Amino acid sequence: MTAAVDIRDFVVAYETGGGAVFALDGIDLAIGAGETLGIVGESGSGKSTLGMAIGRLLAPNARIDAGDILVAGCSVTTSDDETVRRLRRERLGFVFQNPMSALDPTMRIGRQVALAMEGTPDTAAVERLLVRAGLDEPGRVARSFPHELSGGMAQRVVIALAIARNPQILIADEPTASLDASIRDRILDLLFAMRAETGASLVILSHDLRMIVHRCERVIVMYGGRIVEMGESQAVFGSPAHPYTRALIRAAAGNEAPGEQLDPIPGVPPVLRAPSADCAFAPRCAHAAERCRRERPAERAVGGSRVACHFAEEIMAASGTAREVAE
Amino acid sequence: MIALASARLGRFFRRDSLGLLGAVLLLVLLILGIFGDLLPLGDPNAIGAGPRLGAPSLAFPLGTDDLGRSYLPRVVEGIGVTFLLSAIAVIITAVIGTLLGMAAGYLHGATDHLIARIADILFAFPALLFGLLAAAVIGPGSIAAIVVISTATIPLFIRVVRSVTLSVAEREFVVAAVVSGASTWRVMLVHLLPNILGAAIIQLTYALSVSMIIESALSFLGLGVQPPAASLGSLLRLGSVYLTIAPWLVLAPGLVLAAAIMSINLLGDAIRDALDPLRGRSLK
Repeated sequence: MTAAVDIRDFVVAYETGGGAVFALDGIDLAIGAGETLGIVGESGSGKSTLGMAIGRLLAPNARIDAGDILVAGCSVTTSDDETVRRLRRERLGFVFQNPMSALDPTMRIGRQVALAMEGTPDTAAVERLLVRAGLDEPGRVARSFPHELSGGMAQRVVIALAIARNPQILIADEPTASLDASIRDRILDLLFAMRAETGASLVILSHDLRMIVHRCERVIVMYGGRIVEMGESQAVFGSPAHPYTRALIRAAAGNEAPGEQLDPIPGVPPVLRAPSADCAFAPRCAHAAERCRRERPAERAVGGSRVACHFAEEIMAASGTAREVAE
Repeated sequence: MIALASARLGRFFRRDSLGLLGAVLLLVLLILGIFGDLLPLGDPNAIGAGPRLGAPSLAFPLGTDDLGRSYLPRVVEGIGVTFLLSAIAVIITAVIGTLLGMAAGYLHGATDHLIARIADILFAFPALLFGLLAAAVIGPGSIAAIVVISTATIPLFIRVVRSVTLSVAEREFVVAAVVSGASTWRVMLVHLLPNILGAAIIQLTYALSVSMIIESALSFLGLGVQPPAASLGSLLRLGSVYLTIAPWLVLAPGLVLAAAIMSINLLGDAIRDALDPLRGRSLK
């Protein structure tokens, strides 16, 4: 499997008024061609920063301290602007969280779609693309302004923009978070259908572990700017080894009995002032021991997954199989 | 299309009668200023056409000045000159200010610092002091007036456009355009410009009224248009000499200038209200 995206020991910090805040703290990740990869984690875990970094779209106050990202063998961090521009145009497609802000309010949909396509497409080509994105009345949609569309239609347009040049990598940052619950599944169906059609790799960033596991081949759990668990989604969800993954599954709605309370994770995600020298999850972890506050856990194979926790084996053994955790 | 536009214009003014007043007043003054020399008002430069410092009469509706020239055609000429100089200066301001403001707001970093600091320096410089300098360097006249007006109105324009650009550039559609491979120029001209245009147009109306005041002030000091051409400011200066014996010489250009500035501001407020999405929603 050749890697479409190769991320090596990537460290990103944001310069803020109160000093640097680390968003990514050493990420190593290879995304295979045609792979579907889900990235889950709380707000502030660094997943959006990771997604934006792949297209060199970080905010101006972001600072890359170490590492590199290769997209199709081409360095995103060191290449000149023109190379990166071509890379974005030809290889990357982004689907944003809020379709209403991802569309230019002053421009008709047809023109925006035409701008995203190659060359100067005619009306028929624009409408064909809109039909591919599941829009029934492409003519009317093309003539509309974004505010005249519903959220679901607007997100279909955003997906059309993302696939306009048949990208090799599609990155969707919480693509359904701002949509009505009733159309979320249909938008996800469309996204995965488009992925299958174009053969692109699809990276979905989400809070929704259940959805990710259901739809993606592989899943990454992020915490405090690090990957804490990574593996085949059935393995990660079926037998989670990292305490944070277990906590995330317990905190999610969906498998509780009526009347039963959800189990939120105590505390708040950390604000990293420096690359962490210990386990970032230790302050909120029920299993934390002295070693967790002293030594940064390395990523290693546990079960079928790769886990960054000193006590992954013990925790798995002690709490039995994962089904119990999930149920 | 035209019918739709005029219907929207009609609705816009029906909701805002002060804006309508401003628009009508401005239109009348503009027509007077542009087509004034086609009207049968008499020659503004004919010396001795009437008595010196004559009071308003049927033959000379606004009286005559110290050289016996009919004052009405001179005031009309002054409207035209003041509007023309201000308009040229404001167009220069709008083009330069919009480009620099967008560049500062979108490009960040060194470009932003450089443009913002230049704007700050210009902002701190009194317009009249700069007018004296410009008049000394390029000589008093229309060109000096335009240069001074533009340099005085550009800094605020840059600031307004820059701040609006900063907030627009944060929105995802700009990132989406960048992802689809748009160049910096295309992002700025195709995506940012239409989204900041509303703010720029409002700022343009205020810049225009400020320009007219500055132009009048420069001409009042003799740094703007030179005789025998008249602007509202140079007429005011002449009139101020004879304030006690011929007050109409100050009143006519003074009232016209006040009316022009008021009409522009009323129209500017109306446009601002019309473009404000929160308009009509009371905050209780």
